[in-house]
Parts: sequence; C-alpha cells; structure tokens
Amino acid sequence: MLADSSSPTTVRRTRRWRNGTTLRAVVAWALALLTFFPIFWLLLTAFKPSGESFSSGMPSHWTWDNLKYVLTEVSFPRYLMNSAIVSVVVTAAALLFHSMAAYALARLRFRGNSLVLGAMVSTMLVSLPVILVPLFLIAKTLGMLDNFAGLIVPMIFNAFGIFLLRQYYLNFPSELEDAAALDGCGYPRLFWHVVLPLSRPALASLSVLFFLANWNAFLWPLVITSNPDLYVVQTGMASLQGQYASAYNYVLAGSLVAVLPTIIVFLLGQRWLVDSMKSSGLK
Amino acid sequence: MTTSAKALSERASSTSTASGTGTTRRRRETRAAWLFLAPDAVGLLLFVALPMVFALALSLFDVDGFGNYRWIGLDNFHRMLSDPMLSRAIWVTVKYVVLFVPLSFVAGLGLALLVWNKFPGVAAVRTLFFLPNALSLVVIGLLWQFLLVDKQGVLTHAARPFGLGDVSFLGDPKWALATYVFISVWYSMGYQMLLFMAGLNDIEGEHLDAARVDGAGAWQRFRHVIWPLLGPTSFFVLITSLVASVTGLQAFDLVYVLTKGGPDNQTSTVVFYIYQQAFSFGHFGYAAAITVMLVAFLVAVTAVLFKATGGGRFHAR
Amino acid sequence: MTRPVQPPPPTAGRPSRRALLGSVAGAGAAALLSGCGDDNNTDELSFWNFYGPSPTPSPTSDWFTSVIGEWNRNNDVKVRPRFIANAAYINGNTLQTAFSAGSGPDIFLLSPGDFLRYQNGGALLDLTPFLPKGVRADYVPGALDTRTVDGRVYALPMEIEPLVIYYDRRAFEKAHVAEGDLPKTWDQFLSLATKLTTKSRFGAMFETLPGYYQNFVWYPFLWQGGGGAVKDGKSTFDSTAARNALGFWQETQRRHIAPKSALGGGSGDTPSNLAAGYCAMQQSGIWAVADLKLQAPKFDYGIFPLPIPDGGKHVTDGGGWAFAVNAKGKNPEAAAEFVAWALASTDRAGIDRARKWNTVAKTNLPPRASVRKAAEAHDAFTSGVLETFATQIAPTLRSEPRYPPEVYKAISDAIQGTQLSGKDPQQAAREASDVIDNFLLTYRGGSIL
Repeated sequence: MLADSSSPTTVRRTRRWRNGTTLRAVVAWALALLTFFPIFWLLLTAFKPSGESFSSGMPSHWTWDNLKYVLTEVSFPRYLMNSAIVSVVVTAAALLFHSMAAYALARLRFRGNSLVLGAMVSTMLVSLPVILVPLFLIAKTLGMLDNFAGLIVPMIFNAFGIFLLRQYYLNFPSELEDAAALDGCGYPRLFWHVVLPLSRPALASLSVLFFLANWNAFLWPLVITSNPDLYVVQTGMASLQGQYASAYNYVLAGSLVAVLPTIIVFLLGQRWLVDSMKSSGLK
Repeated sequence: MTTSAKALSERASSTSTASGTGTTRRRRETRAAWLFLAPDAVGLLLFVALPMVFALALSLFDVDGFGNYRWIGLDNFHRMLSDPMLSRAIWVTVKYVVLFVPLSFVAGLGLALLVWNKFPGVAAVRTLFFLPNALSLVVIGLLWQFLLVDKQGVLTHAARPFGLGDVSFLGDPKWALATYVFISVWYSMGYQMLLFMAGLNDIEGEHLDAARVDGAGAWQRFRHVIWPLLGPTSFFVLITSLVASVTGLQAFDLVYVLTKGGPDNQTSTVVFYIYQQAFSFGHFGYAAAITVMLVAFLVAVTAVLFKATGGGRFHAR
Repeated sequence: MTRPVQPPPPTAGRPSRRALLGSVAGAGAAALLSGCGDDNNTDELSFWNFYGPSPTPSPTSDWFTSVIGEWNRNNDVKVRPRFIANAAYINGNTLQTAFSAGSGPDIFLLSPGDFLRYQNGGALLDLTPFLPKGVRADYVPGALDTRTVDGRVYALPMEIEPLVIYYDRRAFEKAHVAEGDLPKTWDQFLSLATKLTTKSRFGAMFETLPGYYQNFVWYPFLWQGGGGAVKDGKSTFDSTAARNALGFWQETQRRHIAPKSALGGGSGDTPSNLAAGYCAMQQSGIWAVADLKLQAPKFDYGIFPLPIPDGGKHVTDGGGWAFAVNAKGKNPEAAAEFVAWALASTDRAGIDRARKWNTVAKTNLPPRASVRKAAEAHDAFTSGVLETFATQIAPTLRSEPRYPPEVYKAISDAIQGTQLSGKDPQQAAREASDVIDNFLLTYRGGSIL
C-alpha cells in the first residue's frame, strides 16, 4: 500500500477523504460532546455548593466540600479499597482461568471439545438476577457469606471471556503445539511461557472490561455481604443515597468518587482495548 | 507474536528427537486439555449451572422464602398462562427488546464507521463514546433521575424549546419506556461501537482498496464489502445485546434504580417481575418457573438465529 | 377491624406425606443447608435495621447504638447490629435473601406490609410470653392490632407515624393565601394547588413511585369515604369510596398541579421537595418534622390534616416499623427478651428509652400511653406542629393495613393506572377487586386487616 501511495487513484481518494473527513470530524465531535454531557454535568454538580444542584449554569463558586465530605465523613476510602481488592483479584483470576480454558478449547484436540464449548457458551444465557437465590444458597454452603471469598469467587466465572479468548487463540500459527511437543516442554509450560505472553494484548483489553464490570457490580455485593467493613463502592453509594436523598451535591460527589477509578482505568487501558480487538477478531 | 512462534518452531526442529509417539501425544493432549479446563469448568458448573438446576427444581415447588416447600408439580407453569401481570411484563420486554436491540445496533455500527478512520481528536471522541459504559448502573440511574427531574432537571429545561418542557420523562407512562430505552442505548452504544471496530479492523484493507479502484462509492463499499464481512461481529453483537436486554443487568439494575418498574408498570420487564415475585411476594417457586421459561426461550432464539444467520462460524476451527 | 377472615392454619402442623417427600426430593438441599454454614454462636444475636450504626452520624443511629450498648453491658447474650441503608432494606432483597437461605437475622425491623408474609411463613416468634405484665394495655388502641394474630403479639411497634399535608409558608404568602384558607375538602385542595402551581413549582405532591409506600399514603383517602379492601374474606374494593379516592389523585395529574416524579428520596422526603421549592404542599409523615429540623432548619412551614371528600370523615394512616424476632434464629428467646426490654419495659428507664426514640432521635407519636405522658412531661407535643399532631391528628389515626402482597399489588396497579395513565377509576377499581377476590379464594393465613 505504501508503495503505490503516489498512484493517481490514491491522490484522488485522499482529496475526497479530506472533505469527507472534516464533515465526519464535526459530526463525530458534536455527537461525542452530547454523549458526554450527562457525565460533564455530574462533574459540575459535584463541585457546586449545596443548594445550587439544580441551577442550570456554572457553579457560583467551585467547592471541594462535597468531595471532602464523602471522603472523610463517609467511609468511602474503605469502600474504594474493598472494590479495588475485589475487582483486581477477580480480574486476575478470571484472566488466568479463562485463558487456560480458551487455550484448551481452541488448540487442543480431545473428545468432547465442541460439547464443552457449547455448554460453556450456553451459560452466557444465564444472568445473575435470575439465579440470585440459588447462587446465594451455594455460596453460603461453601462458607462464603460475609467475606472476601464470597465477593470474589462466584464472580470469576463467566463464559464471555473464554469465548473471546478462544477466538484469539484460533488465530495462532499451527506450529505452536508441534514445536512444544517436539521440545518436550509439556503443555503447562508451553502455556505459561509461550501462550500467556503471546496473549498479552487480548488479556490487557479483557482486563479493562472485567475490571469495569466488577467495579460496577451492585446486586451481588449487596446480597452476599452484611458486614459494613466489606461494603464496596456501589453498596456504599446506595447507602449514601438513602441517607442524603435530599443532598444531591453529596450524592453526586459520591457518584464521582465511584466512577473516577473506572474512568481512569479506561483511559489507561483503552489503547489495548481498541488495538487488541483488532487481532482478537470476533469470528 | 509471529517472531516468538518462529523462534519456537526453530527450536523445535533442532530438538526433534525428543518427540514421543502419536498415541502418547494424543493422551498428553487430552490430559492437558482437561487440566486447563478444570478451574473454569468447575466454577461454571458450581456457580452458573448448579443454580440453574436449582431454579429448575424450585419451579416445581411452592416456596415461600421461609424454608417451607410444597411439591406442586407443574402448577407454577400452569399459572403463567393466566397471569395478566406476566403478559404485561412480557409485552414490556418485547417492546424494550424491539426498540433497544436495533437502535443500539445501528448506533454502535454508525459510531464505529464514524470513528474508524482517523481525524483530529479521533481517540478522544472514541473515549467519549465509550465512557458511559464505564459507569455503574447505580450511578447512571441516579444521574439520569437527576437530569430528568420534572420542571427543574437540566435536560427537562433543555427540552422546553421543543415543547416538551412539561413532560415527565421518567414519570409519565407514555414516555418512561422510551426514556429507559434511550438511557440504555446511551449506555451501551459505546461498547457495541468497540465490538464493531474490532470487526472492522479485521477486514483486510485490500478488499476496500479493490472496491475503491472499482469505483465503488461509500454506500456500495459498505453494502458489498464491509457489511458481509461484518457478519460474525453483527451476530455476536446481536446475541449479546439480546441477552443483555432480556435478562441482563440493564434489564434489572437500571429499572431498579430508575423507576422500580413504574409508572403504571410500563418499565416492569420480565426480569424485574421475576425479582418482584420472589422478593416482594415471596413466590420463589413461581419466580423460578418464569426464569426457566425465560432461559429456555433465549436458548431457542439463539439456536434459531444461529441457524438462520449461518453464524456457524462461531464453531469453526 | 380485628375480624379473622378464616381460621388460620396451624403454622407448625403435620406436613403431608407428599409435601415431606417433595421437600426431601427437590428442596432437600436447601433445607439441609440452612442448618450449617453459620457459626452457631448463641451468645451473639444479629439485629438488622436501617438506622444504626450508620456510616454517618445521626440521632437515630445514636439511639440504636446506645440502646444496644446498654443491653450488651448488662447481658451475656450480646446483640450485634447490622446497618442496611434504608433504600436497600425497604425495597431490597437483602433481608429476604437471607431468610430464604435459612440465615435470617435474629432480630429485624418489619413493616406492616410485610407482616403477614413473614407471619404466614412461620418466620416470626410469638413475643407474648416475653412482654412485661400489663404492657399490652399501655399500647394505644389499635397499635398492636396489625401485629397480632389470634391474640398473640408477633412484632412490637416502635413508633406511630401519621400522615398530614405540609405546606410552604413562603409559597402561600407569594400566592396571597391566608392561613385561614387552609383547604378542608378535596375540591378546596385542588383549587388551592392549582393556584400555587407556577412554572418551576408544583402546587401539590403525592407519591407516584409504585410500592408499599404509595399504597400506604393513599389508603386514608380511601377510608375517608368509608372504603376498604377486604372484609369477611371478600373484596370490598369496588366501591364509590375507592373510585373517588382514585379520581382525586388522578385529578392532581390531570390538572398538572402535581409532579409525576419526586426529588430525592420520594414524596416522603420533605427537605428535597417542599423545602427545595419543588412543591408548595406535600403529603408526608410525622418524621418530616425531625427531617426538616435537621436538614432545613430555617424553612418556614405548617401542617394541616389530609383534606376529605364532601361528607367524608377525617382519617389518617399510622405507619411505623416494628421489632420482630426470627423464630428460627440462633437464640429466639434471648432475642425476644431483648426486644421486650428495648421497647416494652415498664420501668422508668424503659419508658425513657422509648421516649427518646419517639421525640429526640426521631419525631413520632409514641405507641404507648405512658411514653407519651413522659414525653409531654419533657415538653414534647406541647407546642408547634407536634402539638397539632398529638391533639388534632392522633384521634383520627388508623393503623397501616397489613395486606398481603397480592392485595397490595392489585391496589397499587389501580392507583398507578388511574393516577398516571388516566385509566377510568371505575374500571380500575373493578379490576383490582376481581384480582383480590381471586386471590382470597386460595388465601390461608393470618386475618387481613
């Protein structure tokens, strides 16, 4: 492509692109700003003095009071810590287990492969709200009530990640296993030393998605924990809403604290998110 | 990726003597496969499949939520036939799915095409489109309630010039479902954009260049090159958004924080109704029966879509 | 009011062979599970509530902490409180999920709307043997009725929360409405609300979000015209009184004088709505006095009784939560002792404890006569709006009904349909009545009050 960059067709194309690009850029920016407006308004209101929450302009003066309040008067730092622990551990464990399973499904020949794949993919049709009570019973039997294990373990397993990673591994060159077998290195070592490092881009993008999903989880943490020391950000938020229904400035400041980490993680991770999906392919 | 694989195969050829016989290799492969599958298989079995089996068992009982069980056979399923509230909830879900799935599909695909090629600030624009998906549904519910408050909300103000200043977007039964769909699309379009971008990235540049050389316009390029090649992605987006809108968190969390199923049951989806039957009314058996029906329905629809769209490429090796 | 609909079945009767087999076959796992997993520490009782200890300090949280602290200092069996945020407790699943898994708390707060479900499920311990002698006579008439089945008390009310209309004095002045013009009838109320409605402010506010709370605040309007829901095992909902009450709320929407959604915590939340200038009149409960004092101390407001239809009688709805004990808890007797001690002690300290809850931590009408007397001795209920509550509102009290969920839902659908979708009240009342009748055919359990 680089070689024929001077060909007449390309020149013509570039010119046409340019006009189109300006229009496209304007439309895209306008839509993007509209999409962003609710979040912008959240930001703005979190810095408005109390009593101005519904004023439709800029704050009369910017204040840190709301944020300071939720960070000091409410145990938000602890909630943030709990959320971080849960999200990071779930993400790490999920990535490891899912890549193992996906690798087996994509690359290893064994009887029942497609059956296992079908069974795992079909679990994607079952969602948490519909199995809440039975799941709670099982977690309780396993001694997962009111501890980190209960917050973490049941949330690790999700066929979505297996499915995406399998697609990724399907594209690996076929010499991989031959090489390993000949090498006598064994599958676990092959997986650990070759496959996992090669999966870095896919894992990076999935880690962003998993982190977001777990940071934002609400229903399960609400049900499985009763100790306030184990509250995560979302359950903490809900309690803030109950206490300060009237004080939108506090509630929105709490919201801001709750969403800030997800925004940061996304900003840091979006490069992988877009890049790696290039090669992961959803075929 | 290719370099290390190459290195590996080079290394392999130099030590080819270490290879075992075909059968032992096959055995080793099988053993390794099950070893790798074990953690996820056990986890999914324990935390997804088993609860589903439990739900199936519960659906045959009258369960009050206080440890009392009474075998009633298929009565719960029978009852679904003559439950007007269930029909209402199904109707709400149907309307929601019919609006949400195509709208978010078109929005996601449209945005992906819009930001696929570079222009100044394209990365920032992509980020802004995706950002709503990074928020929790709890925050989204709170935020939109705040923006759409009758008379005083900032978006209610903004709607005034369009003659909609007195509309209660979340409180009026005529508007609530539309508002709920709108918020859902706002929330998920960035995610679907991302999936479509991944699909677009897989399309070889040569296909498009060839089409351009042939003098194909933008629409023709989309229609004859991009769209067919996006098939698998489209199928994936369709299935995931269908599942999400029927039983996913957005069918529950968002309703729960935004409207509690109101006004006048206009946003009471089937999942929300299941939740209500179980947790507000204490009819756990009946709730389980509806759950079973819902999952069975999803399995059937997925299978049909799978066949109809030739989505069989899912299973291609 | 206390008329049993049908003889309640024995809650701990012999299970049929079929039921027994069934529970072993399918739900056996659940039954077996409920016995294990928990630490069977009978020296510690869990107490789930939505007051304390809350993450942020509040007078209600302080009361819970100090009462529990006092008990723990003097007793071997300790009580461990667990705070669950209001929103999650009332509309949430935390409590129900725990009960379904056989690990419900030992002590918990229960609303009238949930009473029959828990009682019929055998989840509530009979508190009668633990009550101090004579204390039942100390409860004001009606206060225990909705917590009583067959003469046995299954939950102890901590408060009575009557409903009134709060109004914004500034808004009245701006619209040149004199205090003497406070509306007495529905029609007067509607025309005043119309007058008070501006571009940014609604004249009136009633609840619009579906739920137990909406039904609770609507019942008084039903009762004012002599209506009801269930009598002698049959629905009485298809009545003129019901149609009129549905029509009254519908009219506030038809005239665009009431919002379709409330701010903050809903229509019971006065600081977010009335004090924020969102509406000029708002239906709310006695708790709002404390809320406004705490969150909007400078706000100038007044109250008046709920308006009535022509020829109707003054009635208001007395809500309020009760302490209940899990019959299948770790140590139900000790839990019952704690509940009786906390709310029903007849000694001086006990009365003072109850007084503090009803007048210092919160503002409620005390459910016990002796507590109210003690409160008056401390100058509560002797001036201002609280005096109005005590003298004018209290005599018109009727306890919040304990309708089972199916009855609640039928009425809720009628309210929602007429209020928000403009459905014909006559049709809505008839449909709801049919649903209730249908349900009553198979209902077995405590009498529906």
